Amino acid sequence: MASTVDKPVAARSGVDKLAWRGRPRGNPWRRPWLMEGFTWLYIAWSIVPIAIAVLFSFNKGASQATWQGFSTKWYVGSQVTSVLHNPSLHQAVIQTLVLAVLTTLICVPIGVGFAIGIDRWRSRTSTGLNFVMIFSFVVPELLLAVALFLLVTQALTFIRLGTSAEVAGLVVWNISWPAIIVRARLITIGNTYEEAAADLGASRIGAIRRVLLPLLMPAIFASAVLVFASTVDDFVIVEQLSSTAATQPMSVLIYANVHGGLSGPALNALATIMLVISVAAALIGYAGYRWMTRGEGTSKRGTEALTGITGI
Amino acid sequence: MGGGNIKLESLIKRFDDFTAVDDISVEIRAGEFFSLLGPSGCGKTTTLRMVAGFEPPTSGEILLDGVDVGNWPPHRRNVNTVFQSYALFPFLTVAENVAFGMKYKSVPKSERDDRVAEALGLVQLTGYEHRRPNQLSGGQQQRVALARALVLRPSVLLLDEPLGALDAKLRRALQVELGALQKQVGITFLYVTHDQEEALTMSDRLAVMNHGRIIQLGTPEEVYNEPVDAYVADFLGVSNLMDARVESGGNGQRPCRLRLGDFCLEAQTGQLDAAGAVKLAIRPERIHLHPYETSGDNLVPGMVERLVFLGSTTHVYVRLASGSALQTLVRNDGAALPYSQGTPVSVGLPADSLRVLPDPGVSVAEIHEKTTGDQVLDVTSTTPS
Repeated sequence: MASTVDKPVAARSGVDKLAWRGRPRGNPWRRPWLMEGFTWLYIAWSIVPIAIAVLFSFNKGASQATWQGFSTKWYVGSQVTSVLHNPSLHQAVIQTLVLAVLTTLICVPIGVGFAIGIDRWRSRTSTGLNFVMIFSFVVPELLLAVALFLLVTQALTFIRLGTSAEVAGLVVWNISWPAIIVRARLITIGNTYEEAAADLGASRIGAIRRVLLPLLMPAIFASAVLVFASTVDDFVIVEQLSSTAATQPMSVLIYANVHGGLSGPALNALATIMLVISVAAALIGYAGYRWMTRGEGTSKRGTEALTGITGI
Repeated sequence: MGGGNIKLESLIKRFDDFTAVDDISVEIRAGEFFSLLGPSGCGKTTTLRMVAGFEPPTSGEILLDGVDVGNWPPHRRNVNTVFQSYALFPFLTVAENVAFGMKYKSVPKSERDDRVAEALGLVQLTGYEHRRPNQLSGGQQQRVALARALVLRPSVLLLDEPLGALDAKLRRALQVELGALQKQVGITFLYVTHDQEEALTMSDRLAVMNHGRIIQLGTPEEVYNEPVDAYVADFLGVSNLMDARVESGGNGQRPCRLRLGDFCLEAQTGQLDAAGAVKLAIRPERIHLHPYETSGDNLVPGMVERLVFLGSTTHVYVRLASGSALQTLVRNDGAALPYSQGTPVSVGLPADSLRVLPDPGVSVAEIHEKTTGDQVLDVTSTTPS
């Protein structure tokens, strides 16, 4: 090129180098195929086995591997092995729900009190109790379950194996959910509302009851749902602390029968019911959290609800 | 109701090793609109929170109508607070918010609705009873917060930067309203702000604070016209500060003679008997611009650096031959300004407007940085007309 002749060579090569470095390679706005592909693989890997298990609960035949047509016989039809008619199967459903409700009712109020105590009453004790809050994330569940088993069979024998021991264990295991979720909300809402209430004449207790608790309601609700769902899913603790077949919840029954006994699609039906209860609880929690915080006008309430529900 | 006299005596508040409020003594008269003015971190909000009862004082007394309430919990004090964030309860309607405190003041149930209606009328929000706070604008939420406090008929109302979250125009409208409201209800207002315009326009008296202490206490006129030091002069309104040296001190009859660079000036206000290095202060509206080489007393040559047209006035920034930069105001009377950038002028600094202030030992720029550190410099609002 004629025009480049009068420019110093060194300067020209420098410019060219810069221009080469700054030039984007390919279209920066193209679809991220690789990332998208992995995401879908991950989703398939987690959902397909569950979907197959659910599908075979509707199998006409007694096989968990060969599809023989659609039927609801394992839920309601069969007089012998359907969830509805087999006493041990429907007893397990009832036991799961009883445990979930009792645990939620006991766990949530204690957890809320725990969170308020730790956050609003600052002292050395409350700092130490912070650890207890993340207890269930640190301690292996099996260890706690075995320890509780020894405790109620050797020391605290007035707590009988069965429903009462199961509830006690589940409450200890799940107390972190309300404590952490409610505490997160306490930090978000800050002290101002309580100060305003005190300024208007409310005592400490009055301010908590009339102002703090209503403001905490979304978090309390979210943690209740989470405790409920987590109790429905629990296996390790209830397996150790159940006594007779009458106090076996769904998870224990499925485990006990998966290699023999009451095998077949009836177990898939039971597992499907467990799944539906958990998913329904999470959905109700998500919708409820959004509804309760509707007046707060932030655009990120969807995400907030999700984190509220999942406790992350 | 009635009463509302607040007396702070040697009030001190320390947080660990930080002294937020450092020995404050002041008496606020019943029915007065009193402002605490200062940059953030000067201790004004901590003082207010101690009066409200949210913080216990480290030492000293808070006398409310003669009773030391320093260690009383907030709910037992007959004072109410309007918070900067309003702190309206989001799950209650406007009427429920306003009625919140009456439960504790043993107001008969039959009377509560009337009181709520009356308070909402006072802040011009009749008809909004059933709205939720999030359905109201910032200014409306502010009014609800006011009504919620006033409905309890406290002897003192504490306001913590209540207009801080509003935009400039609304803030100015509410300033006027708030002042009028205070005269109407007649209770003591203790108002905390970092906005000098708010403090000047509304207060009966104000205290300028810095580093936990009260630097100057007086009426807005006194504090604006007769600042005790360069800090107050610069914090309230625009002040032109200049470094000067005293040639011969003055007194009540004789002006103080000073040297500003190569020029001699006379000053008739401030600390006339000072000696050595001092700061000279003059308000922009007191400076006169004359054609270049006009002769007379207290005239210093300078050059126009910049013109800022503001509608009703034009700010003319002038650099004196001595090196100091000054800001002056020229009223818009319809005629074209005879200045442009670079025009030489004679700057008239009338002796009765020049104020001699003690030298704090720091440069003009440092003072300026300190007083505006947490504020966005808003040239349209810094000079009350």
